Amino acid sequence: MASASTSKYNSHSLENESIKRTSRDGVTRDLSEAVPRLPGETLITDKEVIYICPFNGPIKGRVYITNYRLYLRSLEMDMRNLRFALKQEGHSRRDMFEILTRYAFPLAHSLPLFAFLNEEKFNVDGWTVYNPVEEYRRQGLPNHHWRITFINKCYELCDTYPALLVVPYRASDDDLRRVATFRSRNRIPVLSWIHPENKTVIVRCSQPLVGMSGKRNKDDEKYLDIIRETNRQISKLTIYDARPSVNAVANKATGGGYESDDAYHNAELFFLDIHNIHVMRESLKKVKDIVYPNVEESHWLSSLESTHWLEHIKLVLTGAIQVADKVSSGKSSVLVHCSDGWDRTAQLTSLAMLMLDSFYRSIEGFEILVQKEWISFGHKFASRIGHGDKNHTDADRSPIFLQFIDCVWQMSKQFPTAFEFNERFLITILDHLYSCRFGTFLFNCESARERQQPNPVEQRYMELLALRDEYIKRLEELQLANSAKLSDPPTSPSSSSQMMPHVQTHF
Amino acid sequence: MFSLKPPRPTFRSYLLPPPQTDDKINSEPKIKKLEPVLLPGEIVVNEVNFVRKCIATDTSQYDLWGKLICTNFKISFITEDPMPLQKFHYRNLLLGEHDVPLTCIEQIVTVNDHKRKQKVLGPNQKLKFNPTELIIYCKDFRIVRFRFDESGPESAKKVCLAIAHYSQPTDLQLLFAFEYVGKKYHNSANKINGIPSGDGGGGDSGAGGSSSPKTPLFETYSDWDREIKRTGASGWRVCSINEGYMISTCLSEYFVVPSSLADQDLKIFSHSFVGRRMPLWCWSHPNGSALVRMALIKDVLQQRKIDQRICNAITKSHPQRSDVYKSDLDKTLPNIQEIQAAFVKLKQLCVNEPFEETEEKWLSSLENTRWLEYVRAFLKHSAELVYVLESRHLSVVLQEEEGRDLSCFVASLVQVMLDPYFRTITGFQSLIQKEWVMAGYQFLDRCNHLKRSEKECPLFLLFLDATWQLLEQYPAAFEFSETYLAVLYDSTRISLFGTFLFNSPHQRVKQSTEFAISKNIQLGDEKGLKFPSVWDWSLQFTAKDRTLFHNPFYIGKSTPCVQNSSVKSFKRTKKSYSSTLRGMPSSLKNGIISDQELLPRRNSLILKLKPDPLQQTNSQNSDMEQYFREWFSTPVDLHGVILPRLSGTHIKLWKLCYFRWVPEAQINLGGFITAFHKLSVLADEVDVLSKMLRQQWSGPLEACYAELGQSRMYFRASGPHDTSGTPEFLSSSFPFSPVGNLCRRSILGTPLSKFLSGAKIWLSTETLANED
Repeated sequence: MASASTSKYNSHSLENESIKRTSRDGVTRDLSEAVPRLPGETLITDKEVIYICPFNGPIKGRVYITNYRLYLRSLEMDMRNLRFALKQEGHSRRDMFEILTRYAFPLAHSLPLFAFLNEEKFNVDGWTVYNPVEEYRRQGLPNHHWRITFINKCYELCDTYPALLVVPYRASDDDLRRVATFRSRNRIPVLSWIHPENKTVIVRCSQPLVGMSGKRNKDDEKYLDIIRETNRQISKLTIYDARPSVNAVANKATGGGYESDDAYHNAELFFLDIHNIHVMRESLKKVKDIVYPNVEESHWLSSLESTHWLEHIKLVLTGAIQVADKVSSGKSSVLVHCSDGWDRTAQLTSLAMLMLDSFYRSIEGFEILVQKEWISFGHKFASRIGHGDKNHTDADRSPIFLQFIDCVWQMSKQFPTAFEFNERFLITILDHLYSCRFGTFLFNCESARERQQPNPVEQRYMELLALRDEYIKRLEELQLANSAKLSDPPTSPSSSSQMMPHVQTHF
Repeated sequence: MFSLKPPRPTFRSYLLPPPQTDDKINSEPKIKKLEPVLLPGEIVVNEVNFVRKCIATDTSQYDLWGKLICTNFKISFITEDPMPLQKFHYRNLLLGEHDVPLTCIEQIVTVNDHKRKQKVLGPNQKLKFNPTELIIYCKDFRIVRFRFDESGPESAKKVCLAIAHYSQPTDLQLLFAFEYVGKKYHNSANKINGIPSGDGGGGDSGAGGSSSPKTPLFETYSDWDREIKRTGASGWRVCSINEGYMISTCLSEYFVVPSSLADQDLKIFSHSFVGRRMPLWCWSHPNGSALVRMALIKDVLQQRKIDQRICNAITKSHPQRSDVYKSDLDKTLPNIQEIQAAFVKLKQLCVNEPFEETEEKWLSSLENTRWLEYVRAFLKHSAELVYVLESRHLSVVLQEEEGRDLSCFVASLVQVMLDPYFRTITGFQSLIQKEWVMAGYQFLDRCNHLKRSEKECPLFLLFLDATWQLLEQYPAAFEFSETYLAVLYDSTRISLFGTFLFNSPHQRVKQSTEFAISKNIQLGDEKGLKFPSVWDWSLQFTAKDRTLFHNPFYIGKSTPCVQNSSVKSFKRTKKSYSSTLRGMPSSLKNGIISDQELLPRRNSLILKLKPDPLQQTNSQNSDMEQYFREWFSTPVDLHGVILPRLSGTHIKLWKLCYFRWVPEAQINLGGFITAFHKLSVLADEVDVLSKMLRQQWSGPLEACYAELGQSRMYFRASGPHDTSGTPEFLSSSFPFSPVGNLCRRSILGTPLSKFLSGAKIWLSTETLANED
């Protein structure tokens, strides 16, 4: 392995804890040991290395590999690790390489993710933060028009939906089953949020299975009509298809499609022109290229523009604003879908809810929002991030959640006093999105988590770590938004004490 | 002397107003009320009635009806209609809501719809058609549009020509400041010796009131002497050989030179310098290194010799006898023409209409203006000179051909970075006096007050922009706010103040003496007329409005109440910061970005410096890198040196200044100002509470709040635990209001404003209806 291959290890310590936080988490730091370890963390190997920091030049240190992280204890100063050159020649380097590969991509080597080995104990059980019943009760549900159903209790209606769903009162469980046959992956339209005053709702689902022949389904049509009627408005139901219309048409070829005017008389369909996961992935790759390993200097703004990342962010936000606007004006209820209804749909509904409901702009509320719209409704975290897997070319991988967080950040920059949390909270969430320290973002959907089986999907871990790093940099260094560089306004207390929902080791 | 002309019974008085308008315009008594507010010496040149001021391009429903007046100071539009859509007006005491000072006018365009004709009006030009529309392009990016559909065509034409004529005067003495100050002298002639009271010298510089110190103007020997003592410079003396401008007409009468150079030598040397501008001391570092600026030595034969003598003298003035580091600004920085070209492009980008169309290519268009690149170039060069002064202990000599453009900028910026005094309001003002006004920066030509200069250049604005970048990066290091910087920029275009009117102090004396003689004003011992100073902010703003200049983030060394507590907390944060730093191998870049965002991100400067291949090998440069790296890796002392972060991502567009008249770019109820508001309220509350503690007040708290009149803060806490939300007039362009200043589509702000506007649990539909 030449240095070229070692440099492939653009790796970071898997954890970016400061000593402060670690000690708060109850880690006792054994002075005889070099690495502060979390309960359940075990040291695999260590070695003298020279760390080639792209910013500060080479630094001597000792690298430790545990089953959780790569850790550099520097002889000169403390810092984050980016890239290593193993100085010593010969065989010793190979060991390191293999160990690193093994533990960085545990799933590809039949090892468990660290979250399963983590023996940390927390005062608060993070899983209790989101209680669907309570959250729906907060929204005033169930009411005369909407009921809570347990039809999906064992995930038999839809395996990527949560067990508990809110559906129109007038739709029977049989209706739901029939509708499910006409929606991609059985993801039927269910309620996400209801306006407390005008009772218009945000409903999410997947695309209808129209196909080339333009199939119709009376039950689906009737079901949407029931939804339309719940807020006693005579206006049409507004359907936002997140995709560009071309893509929606193209989906017909694979059996999907969109609601046509002929079939759905009482609905109006708008396309929001948001591109798919592949486009977003490529866009972010370009962002990465301009910030890593060196921040593009001479043409920063035009390089940034050429990534189109901000353009995508803008489209997502614009779409969410349209959803929010429609609902808050009380003119009509809104149905949002894309293809499968777990990527763009989650972005749109959660952002719109964030705009409409200030509860979600608190720390607890935001956690609930993420738990509800993302985790319980089956955003495929395992596939999109590719935890513990080394296949970096997986086409399922895409920074959709990161993009959502970026949108939230943009909003918080424009309205610095509207959010309880600050950007550090958002970054911390992203850190743990990749860290596998907690179970929150490990799975594709609720049912997968309950099966307790790590999902064997192919992903590359290291690259995502690089992504994370680059993202943080970008957060710091971007951009247009008017930023109050200093100060969290007094209304946003530091959030570090309230971390993301924590996870018990075994669930 | 001049009074407002009474409304003449011309035919236009009988003209019926258009059917869609309100009949109130027509009624005779109301027309009488439409009288301009005139300053002393201001006269109405021409006026026209029944003028419509256009507010939006896509609808006329907001348009205002009134009278358009041209005076020798401003264009005034007087209306009784209330301003539509506008929630807040930051009032300038010298100007009405719809007024534009003549010196702020960039271009005048007259249009005739029917004949499809359009003409840009220069001075003394003829207009062959009757204008139906007048568009005024302002230097501050505003566009004002008037329509004459219902006014007398001849009168409309006359007003247009008058505006064109008076906004492009043929002579400096025709600028309003002369008339104004002449009038003042006349008025006060009976009282005290012909000297107008109040507006002579520095004025009360402080934004907060009479308590703040006066701004030194550096017109006198003692101001320079005090500055030498303040910086603790030894080996430097005030030199008076230019008294009466005997040596150079572009230098101030007093300046500071190395003690070892005798007046006689200086007189001889001066002949060799361009403009006879010999080396001028700017500032001394506590370590003894001095910052010096000088023009080029034009005498080729003498060049080496004189250069040697000067350098020796500067070395002698250094306590460690350190060498001199020369910086040739002409070779390292963009020139005047390039900066002007960048500004023209930036302006095009910001006033582009429709604004949304620029969006897709916004970033690259912005980059193509090169404005930010130039801001960065100045910041970078200044930071490097800070390194030389601070770390290498060398005196720095700024060299520039004439030594009165780029060196003004660099000298000031270096001092802002090095000396916290120049980050206070008084200090910053004294810096502008010292390095710009007195050093002979050619404000008249660069601001192009007479509209005929080929030398126009927004260098001063670029300096304010660079200062803003530092303010943005270190908000707690500056006493002033960005509002202050924007208002200061605006003040360069109000031709009432003497500060930014002349090319040199000598020009002021010469021109105003001539003027005084021609107007038979007795000057007595005065050297020229005493024009009002910009630093006398009370001429422009009320005491309350001036508090917006104060930065609530600032932790001053001398401010009384807030300070104690803030300083404490500041120290505390520093401590926790460094302990984090010591603890573990986590740099600030990742994950938890330390506990304070106000602390600098590391690496940025180093990153910046690294790619320069030419300098890579140079050992001095690697020392410099080392210096920057170390500086960025230690907590910043806000009362010490501050260095800019320079990566492309850190240099931003100063939106408040360039976007404030663009409704589409506005964020209603959002933007930095909301944080500013919250912090002001908090700072005020701390002020009040500590005052009360000191007074051991025992009365009810609420009464206290009412009684404690003066505050440093614009936004006051109404009581303890103030829970009132964000005032609804706040927007990202606060305190400026884009409405009606730019003829744009009637959209207001970004759509997000509808939602994230406050702490309301539920957004009521009424709010939305109101916004629509």
